[in-house]
Amino acid sequence: MSAITEPPTFAAGVPVEIAKIDRELKKLWEQGGEVMTRASLINLAVYSEQPASLAENTRIVSEITREHACRAIVIAADRGAVVDRAEAWISAHCHISRAGGKQVCSEQLSFALSGCYIGMLANVVFAHLDSDLPFYLWWQGELPDPIDPQLWTWVDRLIYDSFAWQHYDEQMRLVEAAQEEAHQRVVLCDLNWTRLVQIRLAIAQFFDGANPRDRLRDIDRVQITFAPGYRSTAILLTGWFAAQLGWEKSATFGSAAIHFADKGGNTIAVALREGEGEPISGCSLFSAGTEYRVEHARGADLLCVSTHVKGTERMRQLMPAGSNDPVRLMREELMRGGPHRVYLRAVKAVRDLI
Amino acid sequence: MAKDSDDPQGNPLREGIATRSVPQACTVVIFGATGDLTHRKLIPALYNIAADGELPPQLAVVGFARRAKSDEEFRGELEEAARKHSRQTLRDDLWKGFAGSVFYHQSEFADAEGYTRLAQRLEQIDAERGTGGNRLFYLAAAPDQFEPILQHLAAAGLNKSAQGGWARVIVEKPFGTDLASARKLNSIVGTAFPEHDTYRIDHFLGKETAQNILVLRFANAIFEPLWDNRYVDHVQITAAETLGVEGRAGYYEGAGALRDMVQNHLLQLLCLVGMEAPTDLGADSVRDEKVKVVRSLRRLSAKDVAVNVVRGQYAEGAISGKPAPGYRSEKNVNPSSQTETYVALRLQIDNWRWADVPIYMRVGKRLPKSGTEISVHFKKAPPVLFNKESQGLDQNVLVIRIQPDEGISLRMQAKMPGTSFRIEPVKMDFHYGTSFGKASPEAYERLLLDAMAGDATLFARRDEVEQAWAFIDAIEEAWHVAERAPKLFEYPAGSWGPDEADDLLARDGRTWRRL
Repeated sequence: MSAITEPPTFAAGVPVEIAKIDRELKKLWEQGGEVMTRASLINLAVYSEQPASLAENTRIVSEITREHACRAIVIAADRGAVVDRAEAWISAHCHISRAGGKQVCSEQLSFALSGCYIGMLANVVFAHLDSDLPFYLWWQGELPDPIDPQLWTWVDRLIYDSFAWQHYDEQMRLVEAAQEEAHQRVVLCDLNWTRLVQIRLAIAQFFDGANPRDRLRDIDRVQITFAPGYRSTAILLTGWFAAQLGWEKSATFGSAAIHFADKGGNTIAVALREGEGEPISGCSLFSAGTEYRVEHARGADLLCVSTHVKGTERMRQLMPAGSNDPVRLMREELMRGGPHRVYLRAVKAVRDLI
Repeated sequence: MAKDSDDPQGNPLREGIATRSVPQACTVVIFGATGDLTHRKLIPALYNIAADGELPPQLAVVGFARRAKSDEEFRGELEEAARKHSRQTLRDDLWKGFAGSVFYHQSEFADAEGYTRLAQRLEQIDAERGTGGNRLFYLAAAPDQFEPILQHLAAAGLNKSAQGGWARVIVEKPFGTDLASARKLNSIVGTAFPEHDTYRIDHFLGKETAQNILVLRFANAIFEPLWDNRYVDHVQITAAETLGVEGRAGYYEGAGALRDMVQNHLLQLLCLVGMEAPTDLGADSVRDEKVKVVRSLRRLSAKDVAVNVVRGQYAEGAISGKPAPGYRSEKNVNPSSQTETYVALRLQIDNWRWADVPIYMRVGKRLPKSGTEISVHFKKAPPVLFNKESQGLDQNVLVIRIQPDEGISLRMQAKMPGTSFRIEPVKMDFHYGTSFGKASPEAYERLLLDAMAGDATLFARRDEVEQAWAFIDAIEEAWHVAERAPKLFEYPAGSWGPDEADDLLARDGRTWRRL
């Protein structure tokens, strides 16, 4: 039932007056009748300043709602425009329920803001949250400085992708200030970290059990291969090792090598290599004559995990690789939840390198 | 239950990404590898958890069965079965990887030499795949084969891991047919494996909604204060099936509904609803509280059974408009069978929380609708204001739907719109399928992962099983041994059971909930 009418600006719903959104939503559901069930577990707001983002984010939201029923609030802000403009649309994304023939629908409110209305984001937009449900704000691109502090009293999880940031440290400071403002209540969710979930799982499984876990102490070399532009992802992965295994940075050698020291003073050499392929196409850990290798299988959404003892392959298996697609990243993030304490530790360990 | 992912004793690289107990690399040895359970449930479950990336990549599966066949033939059969029964569509690349870790071992269950060869093969797999000497033996064979299998496993030293790993055994139901046989089986299992390495599987406990009972009760502050005899009028547990015995007549004739469903599934659900809060989510803490519920069940004398238990057998009738034969006309059923296909019980839990709260259970085949649910019926509001005698408002009912359409609903009273003051019941309804787009894993997936992770919370402990049998035996004895055994009532297929089951509640001024 998306695109009931075709507004001139973008095809994502019925244009409505902002003051009448609730009334129009009610009408929308009345039209749906018995065959449609409205479902919502979270408020998901998506904010972008990219041109034509409303259409693209509507597509993304439609896909996300297949697995995560929500009230979606999609906002396109045009900071370059000189006119003051605030327009709104409502629509619904309906999917057949896996429980039966009913259509399960999530509603979307879309806003196009420019001029003075951008500064009234919290006032104009977030008055339309579904009460009592958690509020996830997905901020695409760079965060402005300053950010309206009122915003942080509403947000439960702030989702961003540090991969897209030009000035990591500045942006991270803003994010941390926001968290401070919210008395640490806001959970920081970096999609650049989410990008690493499957590869972290594939690496972690090598060290389950008491005996393999002992091998963590003997890691002396790490090799990470990353795609052009994804150095920050590789650094975050390095930060994860450092944070979780108690390594301290001891030296850097250009952009390709970092040395860490473990608690016993042993050196761990991390080599970062750029190569075509997935954001992280391979990672090998070397410990006491064994190589633990995770590689992205070429042309497939699978990771190939293997151990090599003295050059001989001992075990080889396939695991899911996840995806760099924003829909899949968001689904993964929304499914996992959690406080992301490890992420903050990983950032702390390598912050000056990103 | 999910362990704290911040466990400092665990793998530090798992922190924050493991939301459940982590399965360890191991070899799963399935006895009865060519059987229905392996094809329909176990292999599809293992494939699905591999496809979800939750299976340790080192994992190997060894199928142990009598028929001669190669690894390749075995893999081919399993692929066909997995394509048919898997929750997720089979992906060729993933299946290929998974199938490469599956092997076949041909031996008679009673052949000692076959176990010696198995030990050698497992050592070889340990060396090749790095399974660390961990072994999970799954008894998917017929129960009469459990004893020789366990004896030979012990004789071959396979009940202990040589490399400091672990050896565990999963025992499929039925866990005996009465208390004596359950004790014998437990003692046979206990000779080979210690209790903490024994996993008695009851797939009902692996269902999402069954696990959610504890979350509903102990993660929400609003229910627990009402969860006792001050506010709860009674509880109903229903397991209804439209199916008849299908191909299970051979087993079912000797078991009946009481042994087949009540002793395990329904009593397990009752435990989850009736238990006190455990001290923590550890396996034994949860099971300690569950077993107290069974222990507190009021034992029924022969006279009590006659009054509080109704048994029935389906006669000819119709299901969804199609004629259905009576039980005694089903294939492989004795034409004068006395096996019950329906049981209704009125139980009492004699403890502080549940004193005087009747628990009504019913289970039956060839009922008009399939569904398993627990309903908690709260006491009526005081007979003043809106609940005066003339109006007689309905009770609040909290329903936990186990299957199908898993979810939770709450019935409450609301004023009908209009100028008159009419009050009608309304339902707040939560459906897993509507709220969560992602499909739940199959019960066997969850339970296999738990067994690999050493988490026995969702498995039945020896004392739970034996206490349940002690309770059931009293009923069976009254039915089959006592001189004046209560009657086996007939009910037409497609009805909600014998009228006498309705009378069981009517005597107390209650009715069964309409599903």
